[in-house]
Amino acid sequence: MTESALADQLRLLPDYLGHHLTLTLVALSSGIAVCLPLAILVTRVKSLQWPVLTVASVAQTIPGLALLALMVPLLGRIGFLPAFIALLLYSMLPILRNTVTGILGVAPDILEAAEGLGMTSRQRLFRVELPLAAPVIIAGIRTATVWVVGSATLSTPVGATSLGNYIFSGLQTQNSTAVLVGCAAAAVLAIVLDQLIRLGELAVAGRSRTKGWLAGAGLLVMLLSTVILQIPTAKGSAVVVVGAKPFTEQYVLAEAIAQRLTQAGLRAENRSSMGSMILFDALTDGHVDCYVDYSGTIWANVMKRQDLPPRRDLLEQMKAWLQREHQVRVLAALGFENNYGLAVPRHKAEALKLASIRDLTGHAPQMTIGADFEFFVRPEWTALRDAYRLDFRERRTFDPSLMYAAAREGVVDVISAYTTDGRIIEYDLAVLSDPLQALPPYDAVLVLSPAAARRAELVRALEVFDGSIDDKTMRAANKRVDVDGESPAQAARFLLKAVGLSSPG
Amino acid sequence: MIQIQQVSKTYDRGRSFAVQRVDLEVGVGELLVLLGDSGCGKTTLLKMINRLVEPTRGRILVEDRDVSRVNPVALRRGIGYVFQGVGLFPHMTVAENVAVVPRLLNWEPAACRDRVDELLRLTGLSPRTHRDRKPDELSGGQRQRVGLARALAARPRIMLMDEPFGALDPITRDGLQREFKRLQQALNLTVVMVTHDMTEALLLADRIAVMKQGVLVGTGTPRQILRNPSHPYIAALMETPRRQADQVESMLRSGGEGQ
Repeated sequence: MTESALADQLRLLPDYLGHHLTLTLVALSSGIAVCLPLAILVTRVKSLQWPVLTVASVAQTIPGLALLALMVPLLGRIGFLPAFIALLLYSMLPILRNTVTGILGVAPDILEAAEGLGMTSRQRLFRVELPLAAPVIIAGIRTATVWVVGSATLSTPVGATSLGNYIFSGLQTQNSTAVLVGCAAAAVLAIVLDQLIRLGELAVAGRSRTKGWLAGAGLLVMLLSTVILQIPTAKGSAVVVVGAKPFTEQYVLAEAIAQRLTQAGLRAENRSSMGSMILFDALTDGHVDCYVDYSGTIWANVMKRQDLPPRRDLLEQMKAWLQREHQVRVLAALGFENNYGLAVPRHKAEALKLASIRDLTGHAPQMTIGADFEFFVRPEWTALRDAYRLDFRERRTFDPSLMYAAAREGVVDVISAYTTDGRIIEYDLAVLSDPLQALPPYDAVLVLSPAAARRAELVRALEVFDGSIDDKTMRAANKRVDVDGESPAQAARFLLKAVGLSSPG
Repeated sequence: MIQIQQVSKTYDRGRSFAVQRVDLEVGVGELLVLLGDSGCGKTTLLKMINRLVEPTRGRILVEDRDVSRVNPVALRRGIGYVFQGVGLFPHMTVAENVAVVPRLLNWEPAACRDRVDELLRLTGLSPRTHRDRKPDELSGGQRQRVGLARALAARPRIMLMDEPFGALDPITRDGLQREFKRLQQALNLTVVMVTHDMTEALLLADRIAVMKQGVLVGTGTPRQILRNPSHPYIAALMETPRRQADQVESMLRSGGEGQ
């Protein structure tokens, strides 16, 4: 079991590592290419020093995840570009500051000697200032290297594959093997790159040819491996990009879709752990080909509707609207709903005689509510709060994977549960009914980007999902990951088998 | 060889003078010492000769050419310079330090190598043992010799020296001073040397120029300066070495103290 779980994770390593390495090397080398000349300019034009270093420092103080997320709306796209720009900004401060410090730290009598012997200002820079500042500059580059390798794991939520895929999905699915593999791989990569640079520095300082060759060979291996590791995924337009939001059910469904596409002879690639709105935008502009969304989410968040027609009508209206406004095709309603619902531990529900959300109104001022990061800013919450006049004592946000445990352990009294989550049964939680129908229905729907909708073989491969998964099956698949510790890939194989879609053998 | 004509250097838009209307000539093969307290403007005057500092007024001719019309980089490559505190490049070996100017002048590598060895021998270092050392592996006296070799590398006819023997112990200093004087005469170098050490000035100089607060107060041979000081300040300056010499002499005559 453990062995196969590790093997399952290691199978993903070439792809994640290849992307991570490419992202890191491109961001770092661009960082060096931008910062060295900029730092030299700053040492020559003193008035630029303050503004340039301040801007770099500010970029540094923005938390890595926020900086990455900020790039998405700024650049209007997801994937490699926003991750690259954010990491480039992140690498700048140590390189800039150390280069400036190194050059300004060259003793004045040395500089006077260089000038007095008849060096031009360029000769002084290349023969005296840069060689003397080199140890400090290289220390800066090494700092930047370690930071960028670490921060690159945060590029997963903006749609760039990285070793962060292990960490983000591992945290959501409580798969510690995945988290450990991701962390270990990132740490090893950081150490290897750092030591390669150190070796190169020693080779130059000690004029050692052997060390020079070793460092050069190491760097070459790194560069070649970015190409080799990505060959399997570099087959151009044929690849179908499957998106997923950051929670278990999404990982399982994305895996199931990818496995189904592979059965049909198509190449699939997963982009996991993306925020709802980032994912929808990525679908409309074609960076993601397909993913599973929920009717209520689109109704309230994308269409900004506040009225609530019955389940069937809502689904039909949404389908038509998506086609009309975004040329997005709803290929299949999977057959189950994953509703937002308020859940409380059963013993508490019985003690307070809570059956519906209406029963909560009176108790709310003494209660704490916990929810995922999105819930309190979504229109569904506003509708729910206003409909039942809910006024909780405190609101707390959690990672979805921790929210259920928080309810079980009494850290919070009420949570915004997903009704298909396996942990509702496992942790003995009661979902309160919604008599005023303040919350919309959340039919799981498989949506295709305009380009994907035109690919007949893709449509054929995935339309079989229509009406194939019921609530019970989905909940069972989720539970296998969240409670039993299976990987999403294993749960996806179970799901396909359960709905009769697995290929023979 | 060098003519300094009515040269002034002012800072703060003319409010304070570093050098005030100095006239001075240095002949071919002459060793002129600029003597004075720290802050008297002697180093500033020295640096104006190879344009490390630009004069505010007046002009300087080197080999009959107005230096303000000569490219400063080319000018400096043609004039040897020994810096206060030596200023060797710490990341370069002794050989690389000595060969800096020849390489700037695009000499052949073989010519650079030969010249380095020749100069190390000339300045009393062994090419074999010292060529590949870094400056921090040398003693103070050895560093000073490398500084001298570096200044001589491209066969300049003029040398500017800023306290070249400062920070050395007296015995090393004495040895180096005498070796340098021999070298200077053998190569017929024109030298301007800055020092605040009266004894050094008297022992090395063909002619001494005394400066005080930016003004040249008098020039003369060591003998003239010592015997007929033309200015009270010069007389006061010469008081110290004279008294020291007298004390040493009387000690020698009385057979020495404590014996």
